[in-house]
Amino acid sequence: MIVAEGLTKRYGDKTAVDGVNFTVQSGKVTGFLGPNGAGKSTTMRMIVGLDRPTAGRVTLDGRDYRSLRSPLTEVGILLDAKAVHTGRSARNHLLAMAATHGIPRSRVDEVIEITGLQSVAKRRAGKFSLGMGQRLGIAAALLGDPQTLILDEPVNGLDPEGVRWVRQFVRAQAASGRTVLLSSHLMSEMALTADHVIVLGRGRVLADAGISDLVAAWTRSAVSVRSPRAAELAQLVAGADITVTSSESGLLDITGTTAAAVGEIAAQHGIVLHELTPRSGSLEDAYLALTEGSVEYRTQGAAS
Amino acid sequence: MTTTTDSRAAARTAPAPSSTYRLGFGRLLRSEALKLFTLRSTWWSLGITVLLAVGIALVVGLATQSLPDEFREQVPLNPVTAVVSPLQLTMLVAGIFGAMAITGEYSTGMIRSTFAAEPRRGAVLLAKTIVVAATLVATTVVTSLIAIVVLTPIYGSNGFAWDDAELTWIPLAYSLLAIASVTLLGLGAGFIIRNGAGAIGATVGLLFVAPLILSIFAAFGESWRWIADLAQYLPYNAAGTLVNGAGGDALPALIALVAWPAAALLGGWALLRTRDA
Repeated sequence: MIVAEGLTKRYGDKTAVDGVNFTVQSGKVTGFLGPNGAGKSTTMRMIVGLDRPTAGRVTLDGRDYRSLRSPLTEVGILLDAKAVHTGRSARNHLLAMAATHGIPRSRVDEVIEITGLQSVAKRRAGKFSLGMGQRLGIAAALLGDPQTLILDEPVNGLDPEGVRWVRQFVRAQAASGRTVLLSSHLMSEMALTADHVIVLGRGRVLADAGISDLVAAWTRSAVSVRSPRAAELAQLVAGADITVTSSESGLLDITGTTAAAVGEIAAQHGIVLHELTPRSGSLEDAYLALTEGSVEYRTQGAAS
Repeated sequence: MTTTTDSRAAARTAPAPSSTYRLGFGRLLRSEALKLFTLRSTWWSLGITVLLAVGIALVVGLATQSLPDEFREQVPLNPVTAVVSPLQLTMLVAGIFGAMAITGEYSTGMIRSTFAAEPRRGAVLLAKTIVVAATLVATTVVTSLIAIVVLTPIYGSNGFAWDDAELTWIPLAYSLLAIASVTLLGLGAGFIIRNGAGAIGATVGLLFVAPLILSIFAAFGESWRWIADLAQYLPYNAAGTLVNGAGGDALPALIALVAWPAAALLGGWALLRTRDA
């Protein structure tokens, strides 16, 4: 369990993390979301003692990271794929990391195998592609078979097989009672992987909720209806809080009501339906609605 | 939105029992040694240094032996002088080596892995200090041994006076101290500056440029003399005093060789405690 209390980090007069409070529960995969510059990576670095908080504190199962006697077995961390000396081979990097905790060679070979690095383990890490570097970072995080995994953008640069492997792996870790905190910009991937999300924006917690709750709160469900008498149906379902739009002839997008209600009305009036599809909002919709206004680096001309 | 919440909650079990892996200072030393010797640059730089240093000692030995006999009888030549003659070169290498041992970690990002594995940064600094100093001292021991073996037949009967420690063991021991001192000066500068070029510049500047600058003041008469006298507290001059008997008192030289690296490492440690990695 990771607990942040009033966690604050300032660099000069810029506040990267601003009095953040959250709890990352064990037994769940918690997603860390937020625009670039929202403070995700800074928060993760503070969790493992690399950056010192300006104020507040963050603890792992009640303890400060710097007081841990065997940090690698408590926390596996992937901060970025470039936390490796470029002149050292992948295997030697892992052996040197393992040596600090007396982790045997057999475990090093095991994590090499788990992450699929066998064929490149003897190559210098500086020659690695982004995806290979990412696998090496994940291998290092797994060395101590840790109780907590903190992964910053773990699927960045991975191939589809690797992305699916990370998803299944962290789900299995959480299922066995461990704590998993991971950040990603891929909303669809996060929706498949995480149970719970913490959304940061401009250094503050914008939301801390289960994914389904978040989506329900920040998106409106819609119904797609296709009918030869669409215009007539549109008038019949109209009401307060209900909006009907039509992007093509015979097709209606109705928000604020349910597929069942639309079906009932159509049946009452003998209107033939060719399609009736309920659509719930996505995590991406919820995320964009939530972070609107706290995006630090906005793409020019891209409306949200 | 297709999140399923099937059996995730039900599958929660107690975390696995904690393993037997533990941090330890001995293990940290092992890790630091592994880090040093799994870099090709370590082998290259040390290997070339040994070759060059032995080569210089050999050439100096041959040159002194080729001096006219009457000259050699007037000034008894100590073969240890030839053994320690590459000291300028090895001090330069040692300073750069010490600086690179830590700045290489900063420039590549490795330092974050290092501090994630051992969050007590003082322990990392101490382990690096021991491993890097031991490596350079061992390299110098090997270099000196090879040089002694190579030079012994060249000097023949005028060889090493091993029964007179003042002429042999003591200067050789001081040369090891000088190497350790400069290595750790570079390491300390690396911890403070964190940038390879900057740390090497500071180390080389203190080693070779500062003595030049201070020596300028010797020309300005007695009132500036005290500035020139400060030079005896510089590592380079101190090493010369102790190893080559280049004049000056032994005590200030010893103090200098210990104090410079100690100050650099303590400064690095103080900054390390508060800075973000």
